[in-house]
Amino acid sequence: MNLDKKVSPQADFIAAWLWVAFGLVVVIGAWRMDRLESRGASLYTAPGLVPGLLGAVLLLFGLLLALRAARAGGHRLRGRSWALGAEARIAATRVGVFLVLGLGYAAVMVGRMPFWLATFLFVSLTIIVFDWTRRQLAGQAPRGLMLAVTVGAGTAFVVSYVFQEVFFVRLP
Amino acid sequence: MFSGLIAFGHSIWSFVTPESLFYVFGSTLVGLIIGALPGLTATMGLALMTTLTLKLESSQALLILICTYVGAIYGGSRSAIMLNIPGTPASAASCLDGYALARQGHAGRAMGIATSGSVLGTLIGMFFLALFTPLLGELALKFGAYEFFWLTVFGVVISGTLTGNDPLKGWMAGFLGLFVACIGQEAIYAFDRFTFGNRDLAGGIALVPALVGAFGFAELLSVMKAHQPTVKINPFDSVIPKLVDVTRHWRTILRSGCIGTFIGVVPGVGEDVAAWSSYAAAKRASKEPELFGKGSIEGLMAAETGDNACVPGAVIPVLTLAIPGSAPAAVLMAAMLIHGVQPGPMIMIQSPQFVYDIVAMMLFATLGILFYGLTLTKLLIRVLQVPQTVMVPIILVLCTVGSFAIAGRLFDIWVMLGFGLLGFLLRQGNYPMAPLVLGIVLGDLLEKSLRRGLVLSDGSLAPFFTRPISLVIWVGIALIIALRFEAVRGLLRRLRPGRAR
Repeated sequence: MNLDKKVSPQADFIAAWLWVAFGLVVVIGAWRMDRLESRGASLYTAPGLVPGLLGAVLLLFGLLLALRAARAGGHRLRGRSWALGAEARIAATRVGVFLVLGLGYAAVMVGRMPFWLATFLFVSLTIIVFDWTRRQLAGQAPRGLMLAVTVGAGTAFVVSYVFQEVFFVRLP
Repeated sequence: MFSGLIAFGHSIWSFVTPESLFYVFGSTLVGLIIGALPGLTATMGLALMTTLTLKLESSQALLILICTYVGAIYGGSRSAIMLNIPGTPASAASCLDGYALARQGHAGRAMGIATSGSVLGTLIGMFFLALFTPLLGELALKFGAYEFFWLTVFGVVISGTLTGNDPLKGWMAGFLGLFVACIGQEAIYAFDRFTFGNRDLAGGIALVPALVGAFGFAELLSVMKAHQPTVKINPFDSVIPKLVDVTRHWRTILRSGCIGTFIGVVPGVGEDVAAWSSYAAAKRASKEPELFGKGSIEGLMAAETGDNACVPGAVIPVLTLAIPGSAPAAVLMAAMLIHGVQPGPMIMIQSPQFVYDIVAMMLFATLGILFYGLTLTKLLIRVLQVPQTVMVPIILVLCTVGSFAIAGRLFDIWVMLGFGLLGFLLRQGNYPMAPLVLGIVLGDLLEKSLRRGLVLSDGSLAPFFTRPISLVIWVGIALIIALRFEAVRGLLRRLRPGRAR
């Protein structure tokens, strides 16, 4: 994951080969697809025609990107430091923590426990996790905790009520 | 002419109900807040609102979406002027002069200019929407499978070229979007493609959860990357627009309105390009170009008029060709399809009133932004002070519920998360999102057109290249791609007559 603003030629070079591999997989998948000749399909209506063409285009673009990145020195992968700077490391940590919380909520908790409870836990926990240091430094830890619990409870109640009672949507 | 005006009058009258007016002002405010908050874009707002309005009647749902769209594009100017951070990419050009004016103590005046520019821009675009949609609709009737095939490719290619700063990556994102649309059962034989035996995937990737993921979850991840300090807002002067700012710059307003609308019509390009193009044109034509970037009223007026004129412009190809003019318009088109409205060349024949309904919705949205531009400024500015740590989890909850609400499937939440991750990774690699969205929306049309065309021509590719409209479009595509290569540009430079002499 590149969290620096500028994308390095090395990152582009690696990404290009991922695109090439993806395009190749799509082309092979499309080629091996049933052409349905037994059902009277002509070559022009074969299900694999369009995905195959699109896969080929992606493969071609991947090769072009690899070529461009290599010209900019992207193929020299040895000796390049992949360590993130301090700022990028903090950014990566923030994204990682939010990703864990978000996936934990949407992919794990929702559907396995009451929606309001999952929402309350997720919103409160996210606010506490991301706001804790600032609040603690400002000597406002109890206030921050109170805010997190209030916003979590409010969101859980309002979203559940509005979707179920106003929009008549069954919640997960 | 008069029948059009009468139809427009009917459309306006049909929305003059307490319920519709509530939706107009409510959704414009939601749009404004989404647009004003840095990191949240109009596309995300529309994707989210599409999921919230599923159960409403189609005209009311589309009214809400159009008001959100117009509100969000206008709302971006708030944070551009006050914080030097564009609320949406469309407001990036407004930062240059808007923030400079704010630093000179004229933040209120700058907001007034943004309000008048946005209102007039939307009105100019609306005029062209009413004027050109029937004309373009008539032309679109001449389009067959061959032309539609090239038009979809053109949309993805031009969007990839103009929306990011790396056309190759833009094209890759666009063609990835076209491929995503191929996943699931294909239309002719109901044959499963790339489903890996998954029954949920057989139905294809649902458009709205994918868009909510690519624009919602991915944007939230991007927002969370950096800690945003609490915003401090300085006092500002009156936000009431000054008549002199409008009368003195009427040429700029007209020019920017026309440019914005035209850019809107070009498939998949969008409001940010419209704003920058209008800004550049205004600078070229200005008597005071040295003031641009230092607090030029003309510059701010041009940017704000251009981006808002683009909104009705982007709806023109949606209605006439079923090809969106911008990323938010792609979501709007998806919402139309969900609500059973089939945009495209037949719309002026099958439901001409619908076109005037859309124009009337734009008018109400304009009234909405005018109202909020003159009032509630302090409240809207206060929204900017809500910490991101509070906003972000709430928005993810809405993304989750919204994705689930469409079909009541947990699978759609997975789609939203998957596309969110994909969108985030692509953004980190400098791949623009607009072509991806356009590709997902246009994939079905591309496939149907190509296969239908090949069947009609019995496998001959000749009609794809020789029919007059097809010829123009594919030559255009070839030129756009070829001109990105230095070797071709060098050759053209050598061929210039002046150079030859």
